[in-house]
Amino acid sequence: MTEELLRRSFEVRGQDFENAGETSAEVTAILKDLEIDPDIILRVGVVTFEAEMNVVMYAEKATVTFILADDEIAVEVIDQGPGIPNIELAMQPGYSTASDEMREMGFGYGLGLPNIKKNSDAFVLESQVGKGTKVYSSIRLDPHG
Amino acid sequence: MAELTHGFKIDGEKCSGCLSCMRVCPTHAIRVRDRKARYKPDHCIDCGVCLTACPWNAIGATTWSVEDLNRFKFKVAVPCPVLFGQFPPGIAPAMVVDGLLTLGFDAVWDYSVEIGLVARAIHEYVERWRGATPLISISCPVVVRLVQVSYPRMVDQLIPVQLPREIAGREVKRRFSAQLGLDEDEIAAIYITPCSAKTISILEPAEGAVSHLDGTLGISDVYNAILAYASLQKDEARKTSQRPIIRNSTFLQWHVSEGLGHLLAAHRYLRVTGLSNIIQVFDDIEKGRLRRVDFLEAYNCWSGCMAGNLTVANLYVTRSKLQALIGNLPEMDLETEAEIERRYPNEVFSLERPIRPRPIRGRTGSLRERVQMIQHAEAALASLPGLNCGLCGAPTCKELARDISMGDATKQDCVLLSKDRLRELQRAYLRRTQ
Repeated sequence: MTEELLRRSFEVRGQDFENAGETSAEVTAILKDLEIDPDIILRVGVVTFEAEMNVVMYAEKATVTFILADDEIAVEVIDQGPGIPNIELAMQPGYSTASDEMREMGFGYGLGLPNIKKNSDAFVLESQVGKGTKVYSSIRLDPHG
Repeated sequence: MAELTHGFKIDGEKCSGCLSCMRVCPTHAIRVRDRKARYKPDHCIDCGVCLTACPWNAIGATTWSVEDLNRFKFKVAVPCPVLFGQFPPGIAPAMVVDGLLTLGFDAVWDYSVEIGLVARAIHEYVERWRGATPLISISCPVVVRLVQVSYPRMVDQLIPVQLPREIAGREVKRRFSAQLGLDEDEIAAIYITPCSAKTISILEPAEGAVSHLDGTLGISDVYNAILAYASLQKDEARKTSQRPIIRNSTFLQWHVSEGLGHLLAAHRYLRVTGLSNIIQVFDDIEKGRLRRVDFLEAYNCWSGCMAGNLTVANLYVTRSKLQALIGNLPEMDLETEAEIERRYPNEVFSLERPIRPRPIRGRTGSLRERVQMIQHAEAALASLPGLNCGLCGAPTCKELARDISMGDATKQDCVLLSKDRLRELQRAYLRRTQ
């Protein structure tokens, strides 16, 4: 039975490139402090970072929630934004709607969502055009870790 | 996991409990309890800031003495290029070599061939790499340890190519044992080091393998003897018997200008020096803000190894001397080039083992217990003043809260929360007349 041990929520604002990455840095710091296996930290870090960047690039704002349970770590991102019209297309590596400006900054290569999925043990993406997108990712923990 | 050892020792007699080291430690590895400083060994990254900050000379580094060499039959000095920039103008590299020989060494090894070999191996590695960037040079042992301890996510970005000094140690043993008919164990390869961190990296390599070098002498340990010898030689206007040891500028360039930068010109390259700058850059890497750099070279000391804590001469004087020497040398010479060509296909340059994270092991118990600990630390922090005065013996209130959560301290260690603690400090630190 999964039991929740710790939950933290962070607000991320769209277009806030200056603070982009802070949420994943904070989540990583908590996991380091908890002495979680570095490979797990890496995966959670990638998931949180990519999800956060998607919010910064495309959405208005979002709440990123980090949930630590005794057997898994979950990251849930609920944004208010344009939504994704074609999820299947968005999941294809290399597909991107990023502007040239974003690419100039080194983002927008169409690898964000596939990267999140690749690093997750469970992954759910729901989106409503004109309202927003919800990304849920969870990563299993070794019960003795 | 083997315990992380570190190379510094605090002399309890000399330590006054003044908090200087604790305040400057970048990884918060020092606590002062009962008027004495002590390390939390697995936090220490051997940067040596504490050693420099201590006004009482109470902190020393593990080093060898010249006498330690005597147990070997044949002793070879492998000097860091920085050594040659330490002496006043007029003392040429050949005189420095002669000085090392009079100190008791049987040979001195110029490792420009090994630098060429390693540069080529790194170049190939960077070309082939398809993982996360930037790749990070392992030249500075403090940087390696910093990544292992504080940025475990980035260990795979450390370039697992052996260092020139290590390849030199291997070659010294191979070459001279064949030449002299001795066992490799009877030949000592001794690195003349600019800093204590490299000593530690030789005693205890980060990847957990055994170094090809047998030990180190600090530049400061050999400086006076070389200077005395060279001055004498100059007075007598005697010609040195040695053939010129440094045949090209690659050797001296290694730690001077852009390090590997000119060898990796086709790549997006960054060189960072000074620990606080490195931490800033590594934080940016972790936050994904440094996406367009392929290769990063970082040195704990400002300006790199010329400012190592076992050097003698001023960094700027050293740099100017080395630049003058570099100006008089060809970039590469045929003999060195031919030797690189000959050896490269026949040797292995990768580290024998991967470098693994060495996360701080402060908390024990189940995940649930660890979560309770960090919640306990957060609650404790909320009740502390946030002054970061350090009088509790921890560098910040946050660190005290962490110590409290692990049972290593109590709130009563805070002088604002406990009058007893204040009185205790007054008794310990004020020399009363009554």
